[in-house]
Amino acid sequence: MTDPILALSNRFPDAVLETGDASGVPSVTVASDHLLDVGRFLRDELGFDLLSNLTVVDQLKLPPVQKTADARFVGVYHLRSVARDGELLQVKTPLPGGDNPVAPSVTGIWPGANWHEREAYDLFGVRYEGHPDLRRILMPDDWPGHPLRKDMPLGGERVPFSVTWDDDEFKMLGRQIMQPEQTPQAIPKGMDSRHMVVNMGPQHPSTHGVLRLIVELDGERIVNVEPDIGYLHSGFEKQGEHVRYKDFVYYTDRMDYVSAMQNNLSYVLAVEQLLGIEAPPRAQGIRVIMAELQRIAAHLVWLATHALDISGTGHALLMYAFREREEILDLFEMACGARLTTSYMRIGGVSDDLPPAFIPRLVEFLDYMDARLDEYRAMLEKNPLWRKRLEGIGPLSKKDAIAMGVTGPMLRGSGVAYDLRRARPYCGYDQYEFDIPTSDLGDSYGRYLVRMAEMKQSVRILRQAAAMLPEGDYLLDDPKIVPPKRDLLDQSMEALIHHFKLYTEGVTPGPGEVYRAIEAPKGEMGFYIVSDGSAHPYRLRIRTPSFANLQSIAMLSKGHLFSDLVVIIGTIDIVLGDVDR
Amino acid sequence: MGFESKLPETGVITTTLEQVVNWSRKNSIWPLLFGLACCAIEMITTGTARHDIARFGSELFRASPRQADLMIVAGRVSNKMAPVIKRLYDEMAEPKWVIAMGICASAGGPFNNYAIVQGVDKIIPVDVYVPGCPPRPEALLYALTMLQKKIETEHLRDHNAPKQTELGVLLPDTSDLPPLPGA
Ligand code: SF4
Repeated sequence: MTDPILALSNRFPDAVLETGDASGVPSVTVASDHLLDVGRFLRDELGFDLLSNLTVVDQLKLPPVQKTADARFVGVYHLRSVARDGELLQVKTPLPGGDNPVAPSVTGIWPGANWHEREAYDLFGVRYEGHPDLRRILMPDDWPGHPLRKDMPLGGERVPFSVTWDDDEFKMLGRQIMQPEQTPQAIPKGMDSRHMVVNMGPQHPSTHGVLRLIVELDGERIVNVEPDIGYLHSGFEKQGEHVRYKDFVYYTDRMDYVSAMQNNLSYVLAVEQLLGIEAPPRAQGIRVIMAELQRIAAHLVWLATHALDISGTGHALLMYAFREREEILDLFEMACGARLTTSYMRIGGVSDDLPPAFIPRLVEFLDYMDARLDEYRAMLEKNPLWRKRLEGIGPLSKKDAIAMGVTGPMLRGSGVAYDLRRARPYCGYDQYEFDIPTSDLGDSYGRYLVRMAEMKQSVRILRQAAAMLPEGDYLLDDPKIVPPKRDLLDQSMEALIHHFKLYTEGVTPGPGEVYRAIEAPKGEMGFYIVSDGSAHPYRLRIRTPSFANLQSIAMLSKGHLFSDLVVIIGTIDIVLGDVDR
Repeated sequence: MGFESKLPETGVITTTLEQVVNWSRKNSIWPLLFGLACCAIEMITTGTARHDIARFGSELFRASPRQADLMIVAGRVSNKMAPVIKRLYDEMAEPKWVIAMGICASAGGPFNNYAIVQGVDKIIPVDVYVPGCPPRPEALLYALTMLQKKIETEHLRDHNAPKQTELGVLLPDTSDLPPLPGA
C-alpha cells in the first residue's frame, strides 16, 4: 500500500504545507483552497471513504510553536479507509478569515460531514461555503456567540448556589433564556407547506430521550424528516478543556450513559496514547471484560426499548431484558461500586482489582445469558408482527452507510464487516476469537439480527477473557502518571511527594495531539485531544457514534409510514447524551 | 377548582374529606413519562421488575402531561430544554408535584457551564430533591414515599391557586467580549 502522504505530496506539491505524525497517526496539513481537490483525491484514489470526525481547533491560546500556520482556526478531519481496515489519516487545514473563519464544505465529498460542519459553525462560528443548510444545530437559534471559542468563558454559576430567585443578576440573565415563543414555528427549509407537518418530541415516549423530529407527511407517508437536536447539550467538550485529564473520566460516563465503561475506555486509551504508555496485561483483560459486559447491557437497553416501542408484547421483553441487565450492573457494582456511571477505568489501568468472587459470578452469568438470548429470539422472531414491522423498514445501502459516516451495528447491518476491535485491535482484542456478525439485508431486521449476534459474540469473548485473565498489576506502576497506592503513603516519602504532585498538578502529557477510537456498542467512539503541555486538554473533541448515525434518519425514513418512524429511531439506537454531548 | 374551594378551611367535614382525598392521591401518583439523561435510565430501572415502582402505585408513566401528577426531572436540564420543561409543567393539571432526581436536576451537578441550568428549581418548584449521580432506584423509591408523606399533610386549599413559574437561567457573561471584526 502506498503511503497516502507521499502520494498526496507527489500529486499536490503546492497544497501540502506540512506533514507529520500525531501520536502515531499520519497527519498532513493542506491549504484550504486545495482542500476539496485533496479530499476528492483521497476518497477516490486512495480509498479514504469514511469521514470519521470533523472538527475545528481555536488556536487563540495555543503556544506559537504548536500552531498550524498562523490562522486562528484550523479545520481537522479524520478520514478512514473501510476497505483497508480503518486506516486513519488526519488532514488539517488552516482556515482563512481570522476571527471570521471560512472553510470549503466537504459535504459534496462525504455527505456525512453535514452535521459535523453545522456543529463547527454552531460552536466555533466557522462558515462552510457550499454547505447545503448551514445553521445552528446544538445551541438555541438566538444564542449569543459560539461557546467553544477560546475567548468565551465556561459559564455557569461562579459560586455554586449563590444565585437565588431574587438576585438582580439572575433576573437579568434569566431573560436570555429561550422563551417558548422563540422556538421557530416556521416550517424547516425544504418542506412543503401543502403537506402535513407534524412535530414529534422533545417529550415523546418513543424518541428515546429529548429528540425532536419535524416530520413532513403526505397522508401517512413520510416525505421528509428534520431532526432538531441539542436539547441535552451539556458542554462536555468545553468542560473537558477546564478539568484535568484524570478528572474527565467521570464525565465520560455521562455521555452515552448506557455504555459508561466503553466511554471510559475510549477516553483513557486516547490519553494513554498521548502519554505513550500502555496499561498492564491484567488491566487490559479487565477492560475487555467490562467493555463486553457493557456492550451486552447497552444492547439489552436497545432491545428492550425497541421491542417496547414496536409492540405491546414488548413490555414483557422490557422486564426480561432489564432483569438480565441488573445482573450485569451487579457485576459492575462488585468491581467498582457503581451501577450506571462507573468511572472504573483510570489512565494506566482500572481503579480497583476484581474481587475474588467476580470471575465465578461472571461465568455463572454467561451461562444464564446465553440461554436468555435464545429465549428472546424465540419470543421475537416467531412473532410474525415483529418481522413485519422490521423487514424492509429503513433500508440503508453499503455505499450510503459509508458516505454518511455511519458506523457500528448500523454499518454491519448493511453488510460491511468493519469493526474496530478487529480492524485496529486495542486492549489485546486480537487474542480473542470472535466473529463480526453482518447482515446483507440492510434493513431494521438485519440490524436487529446483527445486534443479537453481537451479544452472542460478546458472551463468547467474555468466556475467553474470564479464562485467560492474567495475574499481575491492574494499574501501571509509574508514579508520574498513576498515584501511589494508599498504604505506600505511610511508608515512603517519595510516594507521598508523587501523590502530592499528581493531585496538585495532575498528569501533563507533552505538547501533541491524538485521535483514538474504539468500537463502542453504537459504533466508532473517539477522542481527539490536543495537548499544550499543561494539565488539562487544550482541545477535547468527542466523536460519538449516535451523532453520526442519527444523521441518516431522513434517508432511512423517506417513503415509509409515520408509524415506522418509531421503528427507525429504535433501529438507529441513539442515546441523546451521546448525540448532544 | 371544584366544590372543595367552597368548603370551610377546618372542621370535621373538611378534614375527613381531606384525609380521603389525600389517601387516594398519594397511592396513585402517576409520573410523566419523560426522561432527560442518565438518571432517566435509573428511573426506567425503577419501573422494572427488580425495583417495581408499582408497589407504590406509580407504575403508570403517562406520556401526556394532562394525565400526570408527578414530574420526575430525571437528568440535566439544558438551556434549550428548560422552556420545554416549563411548558410541560404548566400543562400538568393540579394537583401536581415535582421530584428533582439527581444532582443535575437539583443543582446542575458536574455541569457548571454555559449549557446547563443550575438546578431545575430555577424554573419550576420542586417538592423532593434526590441526591446522587444517578440516585439508585431505591433512592427514587424513597423520594416517592417522602412525597407520599408530604401529600398526606396537604390541604385541599393548597391546590386552589395554580402555581406560577418563571423562566430564568444563567449564561456566561459575554458583555466584556471584544466585538468580532466584520460582524
Ligand atoms: S445527576 Fe448524574 S446521572 Fe443524573 S443526569 Fe446528572 S450527570 Fe447524569
